[in-house]
Amino acid sequence: MRNLVLVLKKELYRVFSDRKLIISLFVIPAVLMFALYSLIGTLAKSMNSDIESHVSKTVIVNATETLNNAIDESGFKEGSNITWLSDAEYTEKKADIENMVLNGELDLVVVLQKDFDDVFKAYKGQGDQIPNIDIAFNSTENYSQQAYSVFSNTLNVYRTMLLSQRIGNLEQLTVFNQTEKEIVKESKAGTQFISMMLPYMIMIMLFSGAMSISVDAFAGEKERGTLASMLVAPIKRTDIAMGKVVALAIIAALSSIVYAVSMIVSISTMGGNLSDMGSGFGTVHFDILQIVELGLMLIVLDYFFVVFIAVLSSFAKDTKSASTFVTPAYMVVLVAAMMTMFQTGAKNSITKYAIPLYGNAIAIQDITTGEISSVNYLVSLGVTVAISAVLTVVLAKIFDSDKLMFNA
Amino acid sequence: MISVNNLTKVYKLNARKMKELKTTENTKIAVNNLSFESRPGEIYGLLGPNGAGKTTTLRCIATILKPTEGSVKVNGFDTVTEGEKVRGSIAFLTNEIKLDAHFTTDYMFKFFGRIHGMTEEQIEKRRKELFTRFDIYDFAGKKIEELSTGMKQRAAIAVTLVHDPEVVVFDEPTSGLDILTARTVTDYLKELKEAGKTVVVSTHIMSEAEKLCDRIGIIINGKKVAEGSLSEIYEQTGTNDLEDAFFELYKANGGETK
Repeated sequence: MRNLVLVLKKELYRVFSDRKLIISLFVIPAVLMFALYSLIGTLAKSMNSDIESHVSKTVIVNATETLNNAIDESGFKEGSNITWLSDAEYTEKKADIENMVLNGELDLVVVLQKDFDDVFKAYKGQGDQIPNIDIAFNSTENYSQQAYSVFSNTLNVYRTMLLSQRIGNLEQLTVFNQTEKEIVKESKAGTQFISMMLPYMIMIMLFSGAMSISVDAFAGEKERGTLASMLVAPIKRTDIAMGKVVALAIIAALSSIVYAVSMIVSISTMGGNLSDMGSGFGTVHFDILQIVELGLMLIVLDYFFVVFIAVLSSFAKDTKSASTFVTPAYMVVLVAAMMTMFQTGAKNSITKYAIPLYGNAIAIQDITTGEISSVNYLVSLGVTVAISAVLTVVLAKIFDSDKLMFNA
Repeated sequence: MISVNNLTKVYKLNARKMKELKTTENTKIAVNNLSFESRPGEIYGLLGPNGAGKTTTLRCIATILKPTEGSVKVNGFDTVTEGEKVRGSIAFLTNEIKLDAHFTTDYMFKFFGRIHGMTEEQIEKRRKELFTRFDIYDFAGKKIEELSTGMKQRAAIAVTLVHDPEVVVFDEPTSGLDILTARTVTDYLKELKEAGKTVVVSTHIMSEAEKLCDRIGIIINGKKVAEGSLSEIYEQTGTNDLEDAFFELYKANGGETK
């Protein structure tokens, strides 16, 4: 135990006395996160305001008096530059106009049937002709899309006006009133987005934090011959293994805390910028139990990742081959974490929690929604602890193997 | 006291190595049934060409390789079953095992002193002795990566000897050193011998073996072909020069001289 602590301290000192490492582990991620999210926020904001402030170019053919009223009433005119065309003009330029929509030079084309009002007024009952409005827009152009959705309002107003002309009292058409009441668990309210993203984020951050330092601490030290200096010292292999792994797990944890904090700070300083982009981005309230459950799970997962990477790296001949071993493992973690994003509400069977990585990811997800059962939690935690213990022993065995450590 | 008993170490070769060595066999016998004993108060030298099995033998003594057959005992402890006790009583010096260059010599010295279970006073006392002896004080606080090759070597020697071990195993003690540092090292090995320590070195330099070693074991292709003091070896081979003696033995044991 004494030697374990000595190794642990040395490994921690090694990282914290290295300015370059500190910058790459703690400073750069924070700055990058902040810069990235600020950039996303600013760009999203300017894109939204640009679309909203854009004056759309609209062509309206055969406008009726009522349509003009509807356009005035719905306020469509303010954001739009409307060209009024007669049927003859339109027929002449039809091909040109469609081409302009295709190229994004024109946002919206609204064509009313030539004798729209006559046809509308002539309607008496079933089987009679119904007047037609053709609308053309380009769904791949943001401006066009926006013009279309704004004009839909105008059409609704127009429809209502025509209906009241035809039948007078619109209440006849209202067959029922509708009131809505949302019933949600408080712990789940507004957390859909977070509970979807959190397991993914946590696992990626922890793993990549562990990866950047652990490959060098094992494969690198083996390559440089510095690990050997520990192996000829009178110290148990398990002490070297655990000392190193615990130290690296602490550093990986700190690194991911920096990531997480800078991400949260960045997102919250972005403030409203994202509010109209994603729903379910509400505030999350964790109670003490949730925090403890989540914290414990993260500590165990952190150790598991480091010891897992350590085993792969120690098995490898040098850092280069260690990276080729670790990369597929990273992919597996990615996939396991991503699978939680496509969960339906169905309850998971207990065996799923026993699957390493995937089980951890769904457990983390359940913790954030406050839905985890203690049995499922303990299964997931227990399996991870057990595997980590086995991997620690394997790591010590690798240290003891002359074939793997000294290429014998 | 080191006793090597019928030590055999067989390496398994992978396809790439087999190609490198131009062989179709998938094993290589690095050390073949080797036995010798090294006693306190003497310097025992393993002399042989590159690839003879010297380093493998020393690594078996240092517990980092496990014998395929036979056994090695250091101060009565078996290197396989009592590895930790063996590691506690020896110092193993080699070019391939390095100190982490990120740390200072001071830090490494203290770290390994503590690993060996020494008290802070013991470490400080030993630090004074060794840092003075190897002229380390000037650069003890510098990171090892900033040191010259000679300084690094001296730092490594001091750190490895922190616990004042009974047994010192030194693989190619002067290789890569300038003449001044080499002299400091060989002088110190003689001092260790005077102090009653067991010292084993490996070398392929005849003059070094002549000057340094009390007894020499000559290894060729993993086998011991001669052993004894210089005069005993001269007698066995009918020569009066270690180089001539070596070539006689080399020819007699199937080696081709070009």
